[in-house]
Amino acid sequence: MSKRFRGRGCAGGVCEAEAIVALEPFGFWQGIDPASGEIINRRHPLLGANLAGKAFVFTFGRGSTGNPGIFLEAVRNGVAPAAMINVRAEPMITLCSILAEEFYGLRIPVIDRLEAAFYATVKSGDRLRVDGATGEVEIL
Amino acid sequence: MKLTDEERSNLDGTGGEPLRIATQVLVKLGDSYDAERLVPIASAHLVACSYQIAGEAGIDVYARLVEAGARVRVPTTLDPGSIDFVRWEAFRTPAHYAQRQLKIAELLQAMGVIPTWTCTPYYALNVPRFGQHVGWSESSAVAFVNSVIGARTNRLAAYVDLCAALAGKVPYFGLHLPENRRGQVLIDVAAQVGENMRGEDFAALGYFIGGLVGDRIPVIRGVRDASVDQLKFLSAGAASTGSVALYHVVGITPEARTVDEAFQGGTWEDVLPFGRRELQDTQDRMSTFRAGKVDVVGLGCPHASIAQIEEYLRLLAGRRIHPNTELWVCMNDVVEGVARQMGYIDRLEAAGARIMTGTCLNDCPLDAWQFRHLVTDSAKFAYYTPTTVGSACHFTGTAQCIEASIRGYVGEGHDE
Repeated sequence: MSKRFRGRGCAGGVCEAEAIVALEPFGFWQGIDPASGEIINRRHPLLGANLAGKAFVFTFGRGSTGNPGIFLEAVRNGVAPAAMINVRAEPMITLCSILAEEFYGLRIPVIDRLEAAFYATVKSGDRLRVDGATGEVEIL
Repeated sequence: MKLTDEERSNLDGTGGEPLRIATQVLVKLGDSYDAERLVPIASAHLVACSYQIAGEAGIDVYARLVEAGARVRVPTTLDPGSIDFVRWEAFRTPAHYAQRQLKIAELLQAMGVIPTWTCTPYYALNVPRFGQHVGWSESSAVAFVNSVIGARTNRLAAYVDLCAALAGKVPYFGLHLPENRRGQVLIDVAAQVGENMRGEDFAALGYFIGGLVGDRIPVIRGVRDASVDQLKFLSAGAASTGSVALYHVVGITPEARTVDEAFQGGTWEDVLPFGRRELQDTQDRMSTFRAGKVDVVGLGCPHASIAQIEEYLRLLAGRRIHPNTELWVCMNDVVEGVARQMGYIDRLEAAGARIMTGTCLNDCPLDAWQFRHLVTDSAKFAYYTPTTVGSACHFTGTAQCIEASIRGYVGEGHDE
């Protein structure tokens, strides 16, 4: 049975993707290898996991203002996440999506402020349907 | 968002493709944060000027903008690049990598930027006044310019910073509004710590705060005094472990003459004590090795000031560093030029140190060096170098860093 949750849509696009969940702050600069999409931050619990094509669930963007640079390079290389779901999307995360659309025509939905039940329920490997316009996430 | 006629025609492309793109990105960002309008800025500072950050995507983006005739509309400075523009061969940077960085430099300069290549633009060439709106990236510089100078910027980021520079505007939301600059978390520094803090204590305080407050605004109470360089260390620490874009230090930073002013008459959500134990625990956590041979000592993160260079020379006291250890001192071109006139660069080099300008250990490729053990007095190096350099890191005071470069090791050991 699927479960629907409503949050705030920060950037548009609709996608279906596998969730990858780490409820802690994340930075792309020195966080991923933009050639592969692999997590390289040695302090991160998902070190070695790959974000390419996944719906990445994390708390909020952290650290370097260079993050969108690395993100856009990952977009160019076809290894960016398919969606980003935050507890609180700071401007830099929304910006990553805006830039991907402006420069590479790729729409990556960004959603935040979902009901607490979502963050308690969602697990890596879940199949998600994410709608960045309505702010709706469905666990399929 | 309410736009002026000019902004609307820029969105339609009347002002050319670069202004259309810039305005479009700024308006989308503003819309998603309920900004009511765009606001003019006095200056911009760009972060996606290093090849390491911008990559081939950056070259695509900049080439497209230059082709369309893009020019920045406000004074715009640059963060460090990925090479020392003069000495990249000595730093063993691969030639193809240096050439891609030089390509980015050429494209950005075609847009009229000021090629400062530094994370401390506030030491020279980009110094806003209190209350001015600016559009800056570089997490440590954003924290500094908001907190220490009291100019107003959100944490801009790669490419939106250039959009801001091209349009001369940013969306009016977040830290541009006075009411959003109110403190949220009180950091209570114990008297025994706050009475006499060294640079490394400020670095640790920042590292501690960033990890706990995330993106909330901390108000630090109990610090008796702080130099500009110490506040720079604090800014870099808080912006590495967290997303701190603004902090207040009561009695020291301009929006916090009193606790009450820092909280704008309101109260705090949390209180976090910072005593001797928290200081010690944090400094311990910042190191990933305690003792051993030292391959490289990294100073000047964020880029060093003249006062810091004087401190390094005083601590070196005419001694030479260990033959198996590198001592790298990172600074910007302006500081290097002045330090050279003062004879400081010759003295550092005579001691065996290398001067690195235009970049730093976090931003340039160092694979060829195979550094395993790095020692630093910087919270930002401590946080990032295990990933950027791939080395273990020992965080300690500036004086201990200099000693480590001379002895060639840290911790208990035997002199060689």
